[in-house]
Amino acid sequence: MAETAVIEKKEAIKFGKKERKLLTDPLDDNNPITVQVLGICSALAVTTGMKNAMVMAVAVVFVCTFANVITSALRKAIPKQVRMIVQLVIIATLVTVVELTLKAYAFESYKQLSVFIGLIITNCIVMGRLEAFAMANRPYESALDGLGNGVGYGIILLMVAFIRELFGKGELFGYKLIGAAPEYMVNTLDSKWFGWYQGNNLMVLFPSAMFVIAVLIWVHRAWNPKLVDVS
Amino acid sequence: MGDLINIFIKSAFIENLALAYFLGMCSYLAVSKTVKTAFGLGLAVIFVLGITMPINWVINTWLLGENGVFQTDLTFLRFILFIAVIASMVQLVEMVVEKYSPSLYNSLGIFLPLITVNCAILGGSLFMVSKEYNFSEAVAFGLGGGFGWFLAIIAIAAIREKIKYSDVPAPMRGLGMAFLLTGMMGMAFMGLMGIDPAAF
Amino acid sequence: MHSTGSVLRFVLILTTVVSLLLAFLQNGLKSRHEMNEAVYSKKATLASISDHLNIDFSTITDEQVEEIFAKSIEQVVVNQDGQAFTPEEVMAMGYKGGSASDLDMAKEHKKGAEKMLPLYVFTKSDGKKYYILYARGKGLWDEIWGCIALKDDFNTIAGVSFDHKAETPGLGAEIKDNKAWVKQFIGKKLYDGDEFKSIKVRKGGAKDPVYEVDAISGATITGDGVADMLDDYLVDYEPFLKTLKG
Repeated sequence: MAETAVIEKKEAIKFGKKERKLLTDPLDDNNPITVQVLGICSALAVTTGMKNAMVMAVAVVFVCTFANVITSALRKAIPKQVRMIVQLVIIATLVTVVELTLKAYAFESYKQLSVFIGLIITNCIVMGRLEAFAMANRPYESALDGLGNGVGYGIILLMVAFIRELFGKGELFGYKLIGAAPEYMVNTLDSKWFGWYQGNNLMVLFPSAMFVIAVLIWVHRAWNPKLVDVS
Repeated sequence: MGDLINIFIKSAFIENLALAYFLGMCSYLAVSKTVKTAFGLGLAVIFVLGITMPINWVINTWLLGENGVFQTDLTFLRFILFIAVIASMVQLVEMVVEKYSPSLYNSLGIFLPLITVNCAILGGSLFMVSKEYNFSEAVAFGLGGGFGWFLAIIAIAAIREKIKYSDVPAPMRGLGMAFLLTGMMGMAFMGLMGIDPAAF
Repeated sequence: MHSTGSVLRFVLILTTVVSLLLAFLQNGLKSRHEMNEAVYSKKATLASISDHLNIDFSTITDEQVEEIFAKSIEQVVVNQDGQAFTPEEVMAMGYKGGSASDLDMAKEHKKGAEKMLPLYVFTKSDGKKYYILYARGKGLWDEIWGCIALKDDFNTIAGVSFDHKAETPGLGAEIKDNKAWVKQFIGKKLYDGDEFKSIKVRKGGAKDPVYEVDAISGATITGDGVADMLDDYLVDYEPFLKTLKG
């Protein structure tokens, strides 16, 4: 502990190769969802539409970054015996801040995300990063790490939501893009491109998120073979 | 009583926390490689859900509610208190089990810390609040939800044990297949959706 | 290892700081939260007469909602025997606020035959009156509810809007999100002569042009839930509407 403390003092705050790696690693080699398998629950529930996925992604980036910074700043003061609870309290506080803010300024999203905002607390990414990184590193590096992991998570979330909303409803961010509307809709909503396309209801349901992520994992691992499960 | 059985069946099968809401997926996917470990984790989840649900109900109604001890709306502290209860209960259970039943501790012990961050537990408590259950309903919901989660993880572990011997494309091995399987199991469970639990 | 004393001190400081911070935030945002809640349900009420408001409902602001509510809407609280109550009478019965929009319908719903019902009377710019009734029932996962606007013949539907607690997005949730589905209700009728027929939601396409609408594919139970709650609730208003017809 003493040694690392000395080294830390020598290192100035800079943005070099190592720092860039902290930021980009979680986007690919160490992606929270497709590689570390953390934070799946919310990835499934909120990805029916781009809008909800976007709100969720921003919320997780916020919570992940700040929880990392706060924990890292307090890391020498946090007693080992109650480490877990202290970390959870920090996360829960940040999540409550997110909830209260959404309720005040984005009420529609708040209504739609409902209990899934609360579930950010148990989003294992946040907890996992606190335990694995923030407890042993300076706030600056921890911020980068939190940001990287939050964004790595958010990207997958948006990718899944993109596929599900486009093929499920033929919409993006709620705007009709492809496919004709069902018969009773004809007079009210214009069909745009590919009028023959029928929205695939399966894509809207929960299990489809599982399939989409499975395919994403397939593509990701085929493209980056060092991630393949050898066991 | 009939109502409680309804809620139990509903939360175990129709609104299965793992396969209908996909909660607790992290540990569900990580600890379902063999049936033996899955069994241990599943038991621990039933146990912790069964304990935390009534405690959180009491906290939410008597401490945080407008008709509670403080007569003010303190629901903004809900997340913190719920997660603190869950974390401390898990720790308490761990200590008690370690002291009085070392054999159970050996089979369950390593899973207990994992449960704190299992969203099925916190999710269960939050669902309980949004569904406005009363005390006994909350207990039934907790036990039923835990039982459903237990069934789900055993089922996928059994399938994964077998699928190890299949010829799966390399990038899909392990994790990829687990996702695909869970999705299919979820679809199968959706078949239970229209069932009226009152018919039992 | 820290000593027990220092652990306790740390935990104490942390919890105090955290709860103070949150209490501060909660208090600061409370008025906005309450306003949002109120506007949300008022907006849902107005959604049922969105065609008659002379403004584009998709871009309506919170202020406009409040303004319409203040200017053109009269709120009435009625019971199932056809009596109407003044705000004072309602408050004397132990309710928090006296107007229709203050009723907590989730609670009222559980009271069965004892429940009070909200009624909103909207006066259009051309002087025509629309009567907005409320209904609540069970969907697939949890409760669903909605507002039904009737023309002044107390029979023809001028518009509806539905909401739900936890229906499946893309299936059951379409009762709220799918504006086209909701539009089907316009022009349907509740009564055949004196007989209450309500509106049926039919799988495979409506057969009767006056008393039926198409079901949403994949959401049979939610659709049936909508039909059931209309059947349940609209008849409860009958005694009061009869006094209006007079």
